[in-house]
Amino acid sequence: MNNLIISLKNLFHKPLYAFLSIFSLSISVALLLGIQQFDTSIQNQFENGLGNIEMVVGAKGSPLQLVLSSVLHIDNPTGNISYTEVQKLSKNPMIKDAVPISYGDNYKGYRIVGSTLGFAKLYEAKLLEGKEVSQSLEVVLGNDVAKKLGLKLGDTFLSSHGLTENTIEEHDQSFTVVGIYKPTYKVIDRLIITNLYSIWDVHHHKEEKEEIHDTHEHEENHEHEHERNTHEIDEREVTSILVSFKSPMGLMTMPRNINAQTNMQAALPKYELERLFQFTGVGVKAISWIAYVILLISCITIFISLYKMVKERAFDLALMRTYGASNFQLFCIVAAEGIIMLTVSLILGFIFSLVGLQFIISMFKSQFQQDIVLTFSTPDMVQTLCIIIVIAMVSIVLAILPILKMNISKIISDEK
Amino acid sequence: MVQTDQLEFQYKNKEQLFRFPNITLKEQEHLVILGKSGIGKTTLLHLLAGLQKSTAGSINIDEVLINSLSHSQLDTFRGQHIGLVFQKSHAITSLNVYDNLKARLFFSKKAIDEKNIAALLKQLDLIENKKSKINELSVGQLQRLGIAMAVIHQPKLILADEPTSSLDDENCEIVMNLLQQQAKQHQANLVVITHDARIKSSFKNVMTL
Repeated sequence: MNNLIISLKNLFHKPLYAFLSIFSLSISVALLLGIQQFDTSIQNQFENGLGNIEMVVGAKGSPLQLVLSSVLHIDNPTGNISYTEVQKLSKNPMIKDAVPISYGDNYKGYRIVGSTLGFAKLYEAKLLEGKEVSQSLEVVLGNDVAKKLGLKLGDTFLSSHGLTENTIEEHDQSFTVVGIYKPTYKVIDRLIITNLYSIWDVHHHKEEKEEIHDTHEHEENHEHEHERNTHEIDEREVTSILVSFKSPMGLMTMPRNINAQTNMQAALPKYELERLFQFTGVGVKAISWIAYVILLISCITIFISLYKMVKERAFDLALMRTYGASNFQLFCIVAAEGIIMLTVSLILGFIFSLVGLQFIISMFKSQFQQDIVLTFSTPDMVQTLCIIIVIAMVSIVLAILPILKMNISKIISDEK
Repeated sequence: MVQTDQLEFQYKNKEQLFRFPNITLKEQEHLVILGKSGIGKTTLLHLLAGLQKSTAGSINIDEVLINSLSHSQLDTFRGQHIGLVFQKSHAITSLNVYDNLKARLFFSKKAIDEKNIAALLKQLDLIENKKSKINELSVGQLQRLGIAMAVIHQPKLILADEPTSSLDDENCEIVMNLLQQQAKQHQANLVVITHDARIKSSFKNVMTL
């Protein structure tokens, strides 16, 4: 027999009170920790996904959409830009790397991105097996893609038009897997990388097919065909260009110049993501406030539960005093009940937050093909836990303070 | 041994001052204190138990002046040397019969002797109920448990507050016999306060307030 056993037996004596207090407190702990971890994980994931990209240039439209589509690959592109512009831009002395990308097709929901060898360098992706793309219609798979689709070197597949999985608009030309990247935990893990020519060839072939079906154009002669080929270089398009600068000067001047002087737009991923986090931050704050309100309510529940216990079991406590227990001992016994409830709530809350996060992550993954790596921000978690513990401890102490003023003689006389 | 000297008590914010006659009990002597309601019987018992501190005078129990003890010393002394029996018997409701007796020993900082507990429960006909919850006990069983709680730690002084006032004659006799038997067995002084004149004949020492 000891104080802890007596506290535990007291708790189990009225399990409903204990359950309600523990349940509500663990929900608020789960919400507070969960939202904090999710917010940190998403921000880290997005910032990590930027790689070395300092600027994106694409068709006019929403700059955030351009960043989300071309950098994080979770939105649709704003349109296409001329490949000639890419070539011009890459000659700018302030630019270190200008990597064109072109996409619009997928295989089983995974985007096929046509680019140069510089694309993998942006994400520091290294080959796990095979080789880099050297010819049209060769692909290197991001690590997640290879794992999820079970593709191996030498496998072939047909791509579908558009960015979502479908079998209706399949292209005729098949891609061959020539390499698989090591995991980078960046966006490239869930992409299928090929060169720009593959994308152009697949779409050129499609256009040709459409022309064959058109009876009028079928009549056209060789001369016209030749004329089209000579203009082909000028007509080639890409979706966007991913740029890194030699110095910060480029970052300061180039976006403004591009936006003002060309029919393209330049977007800064870091700036756009910060703006995005400001918007989502409002939601995070709202959920955090709701969680704090639940925390307050659950602490009030603990307070009421313990206070009621102290009042209802005043005679029991007075009896313990007649048995030789000191005020401090009674204080410890009742405080231990509160601390047990708090500890169980913290453990359950942590488990609930992990389960909830796994659920949200799986939803996120199925919707955006985006695997979120959970990031625990220890200082933030410690700070939140401290706030929870302090509020709960204050309610525990307030509830059991009457023990110190207890008049045993009066309680025992009144009960006669 | 119990000895009080010019004991006085006054409740806070109340004018009435209780003055109690001196008590002197040698080892294993028993005393019944009779008196009508409101005369201060329970107050005297609480003073003897150290639940209240006297305004004046002294209480000496087994060579210890209990009114000179600090709060924590008094808690320890009460736990180890005094056993209390109430008119309506109570025990810790969240614990079963057996755990109540263990808790009683734990609070009085005495070693938990399971054989001793079992023997006492057997003697008081509670052995079948050792795992019973408090609210499952009958009034008689509860009364016997109250006596067990008062003697399990082998006190020097057993104080009983109106232990028989709500009982019929037969049960009154049973309870008094049990109390006296336990006091004798544990070589303790027994002080009973009551307005129940039926038990007067059971005691050699009678004091009327």
